[in-house]
Amino acid sequence: MHVRAALIAALAVAGVSGCSVEAVKPWQKGTLARSEMNIEGAKPETRFDEHIYTSREAAAGGASVGGGGCGCN
Amino acid sequence: MQLKAGRDGDDRNDSAGRAILMAALALPGLIGVAGAAHADSAPEQGSISLNYLDYRDWQPGLDRIKVHTPAIDVLAPVAGVWAVQASLVSDIISGASPRYHTAISGASSMSDHRVAEDVGLTRYFPQGTINAGFAHSGENDYQSRAFSFGGSLSTEDKNTTGHAGIGVSNDTINPVNQVVNDAKKHTLELMLGVTQILTQNDIVQADLGHVIEQGYLSDPYKFLDNRPDERSRNTLLLRWNHHFEGSDGTGRFSYRYYTDTWEIRAHTFAFEYVQPFSQGWTVTPSARYYTQSAASFYFDPDYDPNYGPPVPLGYVFGSVSSPDQRLSAFGAATLGLKVEKAVARDVQISFKFEQYEQRCDWRLFGSGSPGLAPLYARVLQLGIVKTW
Repeated sequence: MHVRAALIAALAVAGVSGCSVEAVKPWQKGTLARSEMNIEGAKPETRFDEHIYTSREAAAGGASVGGGGCGCN
Repeated sequence: MQLKAGRDGDDRNDSAGRAILMAALALPGLIGVAGAAHADSAPEQGSISLNYLDYRDWQPGLDRIKVHTPAIDVLAPVAGVWAVQASLVSDIISGASPRYHTAISGASSMSDHRVAEDVGLTRYFPQGTINAGFAHSGENDYQSRAFSFGGSLSTEDKNTTGHAGIGVSNDTINPVNQVVNDAKKHTLELMLGVTQILTQNDIVQADLGHVIEQGYLSDPYKFLDNRPDERSRNTLLLRWNHHFEGSDGTGRFSYRYYTDTWEIRAHTFAFEYVQPFSQGWTVTPSARYYTQSAASFYFDPDYDPNYGPPVPLGYVFGSVSSPDQRLSAFGAATLGLKVEKAVARDVQISFKFEQYEQRCDWRLFGSGSPGLAPLYARVLQLGIVKTW
C-alpha cells in the first residue's frame, strides 16, 4: 500500500518534471555545475550526518546503498 | 514562406551561438565540472579531504555518548573515464547508554573504537555510468562488510538521468556481554531513482529504496530487547535544489518518507541555504525536522509493580519487545550553521555546528511516547579539502 503510494509519487515527480518545461541546453548548465547544486551533497559531511541520525532514530537510508552496518548504540 | 525563412534565420543564429558557447564550454575544467551536478561525466579534478567530527549527546542528568571521528577521503580521476574514491574513518566512542528507556540508573558505560573503510570505482560512458563499491566497518563487538553495484543512464540531452543500485551487507555481532555469539545480520538494499534538470536553476531527484534486513536485529545491551528477526524498510526521498539568481544563493530542500514492517512511519524535512560572499566565504544555515511513530513492539515505561523496571505490565517472558528510546514515538529538530572559506585557489576549509533535540511531545501526526527524557546532541565538524 505504502510502496504503491511512494511509487505513484515518484512517477508523478518524474512525469511532471519530464514534460512541463523546455529542455535546458548544455551551455545553460553553468549554475547547475556549481558544487552546491550537486543533488547528493558533500560526501564526508553527508556521511557524518547520516551516521549520527541512523544511530539515534529508527528511520535510515534512502539516499544510497552499500554503506554497511555498525553497532552504533 | 515568410515563417519558414524566419525559422531558418533563427536556426542560423542559434547554431552560431551554440558553436561559441560549446567552444567556451570546452575550456579545460568546465565540462567535467558541469557533469558533476548530475554525475554523468568523470571528474576532471582529484581531491583529498580531511574531516574531524566531535559529537556528544546527553539527557537531563546523564552525559551519554561522546564520539571523536577523524576521516580522510580521496577522489582521483583516472584516464578521463574512471574515478576512484576511498575513505578511512575512525570513531573513538565513549560514554554511557541507558539499558532501558531513558533510565539513568544502571546505564551501561562503554568505550569502543570503530574503523571503517570504503572504496568505490566508477566508469563513465557518454550516456551513463557503472559503479561498484566495497565497505568494511569493524568494532570489537561488530563487524560489517558491504558490497554495492549501481549504474545510471542519461537521455541524450543529459537532462534526465535514471539510476539504480543494489547493495548487500553481512554483519557479525559479538557483544561483550555474550548474550549472543557470532550472531549474523544480512541486509539487501535496492534503489531506483531519477534526476531531472528542470531549468537552468533547478534540479530535482526522486529515489525509491527497499531494504530487507534479516538476522539478529536486537540491541544486545538493552534489557528485554527482543526484536523480530526480519525487517523490510521502504523509503521515498525527494530532493530539490534551487539557485536564486538575485542573491546568488542556493536552497536545498529534501523530504523523506519512511515506512517499515515494524510499523514505524517517519517523515524527514530538511532545508539548507548556501550563500556565497566575497573573498571566498560561504555561509550555510540549515534546519531539519524528523518525526516517527513507535515500533509495534516498543513498550512504554509502565512497569509491573511486582517485578519492577524494566518489566512492563503484562509482560510475557520471551515475547517480542523493546524498551529502546529509538523505537518510541517522537519528533526531533536540528539547527545548523556551516561556514566555509576558500583559503587558496585549490584549498577550502569548513566549520559546521549543529544542535539536535529529540522530544516525544514534538511528534507530528500523532502523540509521542510517554515517560521518556529528551535527548540532546551537539555536533562539530571541521574540514579541509584540497583539489588538484
